[in-house]
Amino acid sequence: MTINFNDPRLTAYALGELDEKERAEIEALLAGSEDARREVEDIRRTSELLTQELAAEPSPGLSDAQRAALANRLAETDGRAARPAKRRRFLRPRVWIPTALAASFVLAAGVAYFNWPSLLSQASRPSNELANLSHVKDDATSSRVHGVGQEQSLWIRSVPSAREAPTARRERLTRDKEGSEVVASTSDRALHGVTREEMARMIAEAPAKLFICPSSTEGSYSDSGNPPPVDFSQYENVSYGYQVPQPPAAQPPAVPGGGGGQSILGGSAERVGGSSPGHGRPLDKIPPEQLSRLLAEIGSRVPDMGRSAPGSLSEAEMPDDPELMEDLKRLIAAQLAAGADLGFSTEAYDHIVENPFLLVTQEPLSTFSIDVDTASYANIRRYLTGGQFPPAAAVRLEEMINYFTYDYPQPAGDEPFSVNVAIADCPWDGRHRLARIGLKGYEIPDDERPASNLVFLIDVSGSMQPANKLPLLKQSMRMLVNNLRDDDSVAIVVYAGSSGEVLSPTYGFARGEILAALDRLQSGGNTNGGAGIQLAYDLAVSRYIEGGINRVILATDGDFNVGVTSQGELVELIERKAKSGVFLTVLGFGMGNLKDSTLEKLADKGNGNYAYIDTLNEAQKVLVEEMGATLMTIAKDVKIQIEFNPATVAAYRLLGYENRLLAAQDFNDDTKDAGEIGAGHTVTALYEIILAGEAVDVPEVDPLKYQAATAVAPAAMSGETMTVKLRYKEPEEDESSLLEFPVTDSGTTLADASDDFAFAAAVASFGMLLRDSPYQGDWSYDAAIELAGSALGDDAFGYRAEFIDLVARARDLAARQP
Amino acid sequence: MAEVGQPAGANWDRSIVERFEGPLVRFAVRITGDLESARDVVQETFLRIFTGNRASADGHEAQWLFTVCRRRALDVARKEHRMNVATDQQLAGQRTPAPGPAAVVENGETAGTILRLLATLPANQQEVVRLRFQNGLSYREIAGVTQLSVSNVGFLMHTAIATIRRRLAVPADARGDGRSKS
Repeated sequence: MTINFNDPRLTAYALGELDEKERAEIEALLAGSEDARREVEDIRRTSELLTQELAAEPSPGLSDAQRAALANRLAETDGRAARPAKRRRFLRPRVWIPTALAASFVLAAGVAYFNWPSLLSQASRPSNELANLSHVKDDATSSRVHGVGQEQSLWIRSVPSAREAPTARRERLTRDKEGSEVVASTSDRALHGVTREEMARMIAEAPAKLFICPSSTEGSYSDSGNPPPVDFSQYENVSYGYQVPQPPAAQPPAVPGGGGGQSILGGSAERVGGSSPGHGRPLDKIPPEQLSRLLAEIGSRVPDMGRSAPGSLSEAEMPDDPELMEDLKRLIAAQLAAGADLGFSTEAYDHIVENPFLLVTQEPLSTFSIDVDTASYANIRRYLTGGQFPPAAAVRLEEMINYFTYDYPQPAGDEPFSVNVAIADCPWDGRHRLARIGLKGYEIPDDERPASNLVFLIDVSGSMQPANKLPLLKQSMRMLVNNLRDDDSVAIVVYAGSSGEVLSPTYGFARGEILAALDRLQSGGNTNGGAGIQLAYDLAVSRYIEGGINRVILATDGDFNVGVTSQGELVELIERKAKSGVFLTVLGFGMGNLKDSTLEKLADKGNGNYAYIDTLNEAQKVLVEEMGATLMTIAKDVKIQIEFNPATVAAYRLLGYENRLLAAQDFNDDTKDAGEIGAGHTVTALYEIILAGEAVDVPEVDPLKYQAATAVAPAAMSGETMTVKLRYKEPEEDESSLLEFPVTDSGTTLADASDDFAFAAAVASFGMLLRDSPYQGDWSYDAAIELAGSALGDDAFGYRAEFIDLVARARDLAARQP
Repeated sequence: MAEVGQPAGANWDRSIVERFEGPLVRFAVRITGDLESARDVVQETFLRIFTGNRASADGHEAQWLFTVCRRRALDVARKEHRMNVATDQQLAGQRTPAPGPAAVVENGETAGTILRLLATLPANQQEVVRLRFQNGLSYREIAGVTQLSVSNVGFLMHTAIATIRRRLAVPADARGDGRSKS
């Protein structure tokens, strides 16, 4: 019998979590396999270590004042429910918004975290706001915290407490008609535009509409002043976040998917059984089997709500009762607020708003900077192989597409790259066309490559300790060093709490010294990235090779926490340094703490590229196979501008490149920074195009009153689809050159399109699925697999096959979500 | 059910506070990111169990408390828009009784390889591992707390332990680190 070591039951068995039947099965397996027995033994040992070390983790516990307050409260009431008015004495109300019944602890039952403002604010708030939060020490508590002491300021890093910004977080007390307190924060952005009165009304109305209480308990509520626990078990099965919703459990015990429907109170069954629906509430009118679909639909229409299946209901099936809609939204919000999604992590990603369709009549020009980064794909791979969906903001379509190399021809003339445009059917929407613009930088044989002046800037802070960070980094760098020529020079600068040069510039022939210096690197301390960057650039400038490769290679998990720590300042520092002519390569390492947003910006502003190294294979790809592309820039500030022809194209949409968009006038402005292309690099951009005459679902603007529609130039009648314009600079030039290509759609079908075209489309479509894009239509993981499978080409390194594997993982993961 | 039954009186309450205060604060601070809000969340959690929820929590206090605490903590974290869970730097600080920054860093580097490896896992894996090995909850209870299915919990746990084991094994000289150095 074969043992699958990925079977979670092995761990469950080792931890004594299996029922009798499964235990017997596993034991049968174990009896026949020594490997499996060792595996289980290993799991047990790891569990023991975990238990030991976790037990030793101290906790500061409550503050003395809080403990005293709790004790007082217990003494006063002798275990009876508190009167609401007393609460304020010891419970400092913060930003939560209790319902009108708040003071009387309806909330106690747990579900009623009525909190849709926070939900809305999630969608609307820019994520980099985090970076600007100040560090303020909480002097009231830090002095006495057990085992925390002066590290307190670290704990509160980037996390203001209520007192830190009194003006921003003024708490407001209003009184509802029962005289109990309602606390709301006026700082929440979602509340902008909502008046106090409206707010109070929303709060007051919420519970009555939101909760389907058993009517018998309603009666007793006002008598006792001590509210009954609200039965919320019927909501428990409607889950959001990274999960596909299930039917509600209003009709127990039909709980599908096993375990997904447990009440948080454990003994849910009898509680559910004892409840009967309330009367006359809008929500009650919906049959339970329809409720979950409704919730899913509404949830999917609110940005950032998670990955509930969208489009499962048509507009006509949506309730037209606005009051009911409100209730449903609140219910979703309550679910989310109750922790139904899993979206917390220390990884930082910038929010991405997908490019929408734009009307050619209104926006004939589309301008963007090229982007040769590939980090997003490697990062997504890391998530999916770890059994998780990546956050939508981590999915950057252009980086996924550009992870793969495409077989575009070498440039023929003097230009540093060839431009390859193709148009064919759009796979995920047969009514649309898909245009691909592919650039290919010329390749330089290794012996013709100019000499390199490389400075490795290596993060050796404490957070780099894990095996997939510094150890992997050392191995990766070793591979790079082994491929250097004798006339290349390498210096190594490390940074942690302080930074320093650990290897002064050393030529490639002294490879042994470079490798030995790498070996000596050890992690420890905080991360003062700013000082390290300064030193590395200074070194690179001091050894500047005219016409050569001058590059700082920054290897880090990006968590700069000492010295210059704000993303803005770091980016500014890099931007200044980039003017020295030294280019930057950013290699991201590690997981759980990756500051993707910072790293991408650094590479962008530092005339550089950004790759994410999750495995040795990836290091091989980036630092050996594509070394030329990674290190040697052949053209800089490469910008693309497309002019669409309104006579043939009604609307267009650029896939990805959201953070590389430029204003139309920036195209000809040589002072505007843009992306670099390396030797042998391929860069691909896709446009989804709606041809003139096709239906366009773009919000219309009123016709202008004072301007007539602009006349169409004769060239529009040429039948051309668009004109592709490119600007680029030679690596050491300041003046750009212009390339221009008119493109006509010859009506190629998808079947006749090249493998490269179809594969790029498949990758983009996968990204759209992962982002839960509104443009994905009825596209599916299976469709993406089929399309990619038909377009493998010769796939020399197996990257395309790996892609298919990854899509299959995502598909299985989606199917496994309860 | 106007009156909610009380399994015991104030004594029960006190023992609950004593037993769960530390674990809950430790748990909540990983979600809220700061101690102050974590403490408020925990205090609120206690108040809830004492105010009409004794009966419902009776027999599974741990699950009840962690569930309510987690929800409130997420609520607060979301509200403040700070999903920054404590980083390993901060935890290094937590492990060290304030002997000055240099020593803190030094200790953080050498103590507890396993904890450091744990800190590199995705947040949801860390969470189930902590609920299991730090707080002794069963898969079923963890599923209740985290709103996941039991099989999902099992999968996360398996992946987490497998990853930690794998990383303990590489680099070769790191094996046994956790024990010898801590």
